Amino acid sequence: MSTTSAETALVPARTRDIAVAGRTDSLRDRMGRRLQHGGWFIAPFLALFVLFVIWPVLRGVYLSFTDANISGVGANFVGLDNYREALDDPLVWDSLGHSAYFTLLVVPCITVLAFLMAMLAHHIERAKWLWRLCFFAPFLLPSTVAANLWQWLFNPGTGMVDHVLGIETPWLTDKAYAMPAVVICTLWWTVGFSFLLYLAALQAIPDHLYEAAKLDGANAWHRMLHITLPMLRNITGLVVALQILASLQVFDQAVVMYDFQPGPEESTRTFVQYTLEEGFTSYRVGYASAISIIFFVIIASVAFARMWLLRKREEGAR
Amino acid sequence: MGRPDLNRRQLLGGLGGLFVAGSFGFAALGTGADALAAGSQTRVRYWNLFSGGDGYNMIAMLDAFRKSTPDIAVKDSTLQWGNPYYTKLAMAAAGSRAPDLSVMHLGRVAGFAPGRLLDPWDMDLLAKYGLNEADFNPALWKRAVIDGTLYALPLDIHVQLCFYRKDVLKKAGLLGDDGRIVPVTSTQEWFDVLKAAKKATKSGLQTLGLHANDQNFSWWFFVAFYQQLGGTYFDDARTQVTFDEDKATQVLEFLRQHVTDGYAQAGAADAEQFINGAPFTWEGNWSVPVYNGAKIDYGATPLPPVFGTQATHAESHSFVLPHQTDRSGATNEAAHRLAAYIVKNALVWAEGGHIPAYRPTLSSAAYRRLTPQNEYVSAMDHQATEPKVWFAGSTGTLASRIGPVIAASNLGSAKPDATARRMKSVLEELLVMKNPMDGRTAAQGGAS
Repeated sequence: MSTTSAETALVPARTRDIAVAGRTDSLRDRMGRRLQHGGWFIAPFLALFVLFVIWPVLRGVYLSFTDANISGVGANFVGLDNYREALDDPLVWDSLGHSAYFTLLVVPCITVLAFLMAMLAHHIERAKWLWRLCFFAPFLLPSTVAANLWQWLFNPGTGMVDHVLGIETPWLTDKAYAMPAVVICTLWWTVGFSFLLYLAALQAIPDHLYEAAKLDGANAWHRMLHITLPMLRNITGLVVALQILASLQVFDQAVVMYDFQPGPEESTRTFVQYTLEEGFTSYRVGYASAISIIFFVIIASVAFARMWLLRKREEGAR
Repeated sequence: MGRPDLNRRQLLGGLGGLFVAGSFGFAALGTGADALAAGSQTRVRYWNLFSGGDGYNMIAMLDAFRKSTPDIAVKDSTLQWGNPYYTKLAMAAAGSRAPDLSVMHLGRVAGFAPGRLLDPWDMDLLAKYGLNEADFNPALWKRAVIDGTLYALPLDIHVQLCFYRKDVLKKAGLLGDDGRIVPVTSTQEWFDVLKAAKKATKSGLQTLGLHANDQNFSWWFFVAFYQQLGGTYFDDARTQVTFDEDKATQVLEFLRQHVTDGYAQAGAADAEQFINGAPFTWEGNWSVPVYNGAKIDYGATPLPPVFGTQATHAESHSFVLPHQTDRSGATNEAAHRLAAYIVKNALVWAEGGHIPAYRPTLSSAAYRRLTPQNEYVSAMDHQATEPKVWFAGSTGTLASRIGPVIAASNLGSAKPDATARRMKSVLEELLVMKNPMDGRTAAQGGAS
């Protein structure tokens, strides 16, 4: 865990004792004890998880080695052909680039914005609930609603964005603005979630730290730099990681804003969208499975890289 | 609070039991009702993709059929238009759970593995219910025949039209004595018309709705004008790309000039602008009910023959028989009967803007009285269609690959000649690609 004593204090000492004591038991004993009651409670979830996650993943891996079509009959084993084709397919790389570009734009913006909004909502004295509600409310909208809303706002001629700002930016029809338009929509729509994480983390920082700092003569800036930010380091790591994983999988808001088309000059075709097009427009389920497996590997490596980096840091802190 | 656990368990158990029993009950009720409705009737399961005005008209035609043919029970299901529909249809046909009758865009029939996912029509049965080849436009009929066998029964063609506001054009002096738009026969004339119309247009409105950034419309308009120039895509054997880059460049230049000269605004709400007073919009004929409903004074012609010959993009709704391992008997005959009835009684359908495929309807006085339908009925004889290959057809692979390329040129960023080259390379790629449904390329598919 982190270096601060405050966080250590938050962890109940008992759990640790149990963990130490439990080490003498065999793995089987421990599993058995856990499953005795817990097993039945997770069984319904486990059944659905296997049915709708594990099984489709395994099936997808199998299909990626075949030339299966959407109808599910007449599939032949083709070995690594799909993978070979995918590596040569410029659309795979283009769409991967678009997803990465989106991620690059969204993650820093959302992290900074969520932090600033959380600071605002945390320190404001009046109508606290109103701020929280306003910041979080868009997150509750379905993606289609959010994307349609912004499609109207960005509409050339009649859209509110251009009208209010007195500009004539072709948001939805120019390559240069197409992805930023999706980013703006996404920020508005999802920043509430990260905002909430930050707000909770801010509230968990014990007041006595600030009091002590004040007594030592630290001004507001110093307190922010030396208490708030370090105390938020873990939550920032979490926000960044979650946002990277979510942003790489961007799909719904982009396709809705561009009417299920790849955007101006095919500049907003995301990786997920291309997979869908191959599977459900061209009916090449085998090929679509192969590129989704490639994507899975990329995302999994990002997740593992994060875990690895975090562990390094924790070890360094110990 | 004596034995709360026991009580709660009993309660939960009881509720659960009731729920399970209840759902069985409802299920039984459902099948019972179905069986009851069927009775001695033959049941035809029919899938379609019509919503909105089309959906309303289709249901009206089905109701008319139910009334006239009480011994056939039609169970119709309307599914989401576009790729979701075709996905479900393919999976159902492959898994022997196909409906007895369904609707398809004619352009997609070749890609749907006729013979494997689709069953052929029985010509004798069709004749029994009053339909023969002579009742259809020969070019349309030819598109429905694959390897000498009829796989699709055309209900209509739906075409791209040039909608115009009579009130605005009158002000601009662009209406003839017959109250219709003056004829246009060259690109120069067309842009002169636009120029005059623009002067008579309320400020803040575009002159022409072009859907310039939409991949489907861009492709459809391209197909129309490319055909006017006599352009082709592939040779008959489907082994060579015969795409003419010069002709394509000409078309692309023409389309994009609307945007660069400021007549069309990319991304604008075209239909709404037209209703509010924009003089022109290019749209499918399915917009006729929309503009009729808006009570505006308008007309509609096929896309102007700016390259000298008439041709406008046409796709067609047709009936198909999804593959069933045991397709025969009364149900199959009922499917033929239902399809024949709707094709022959499609005046309601024509009111929705589509041009009926059944010739007797087309020449009927009742149809000729419909406006603006009577202004564009000639489109039946000047159809510009996508090439007949497995990857073509409404919202198919070809449109989704080549459409965005055209849209990029419309928006002004990609050069027309470079765009024409890219279009050609897309066609080359697709020509060697195997149809995932049967593992054959276009050349091996024999769809001609």
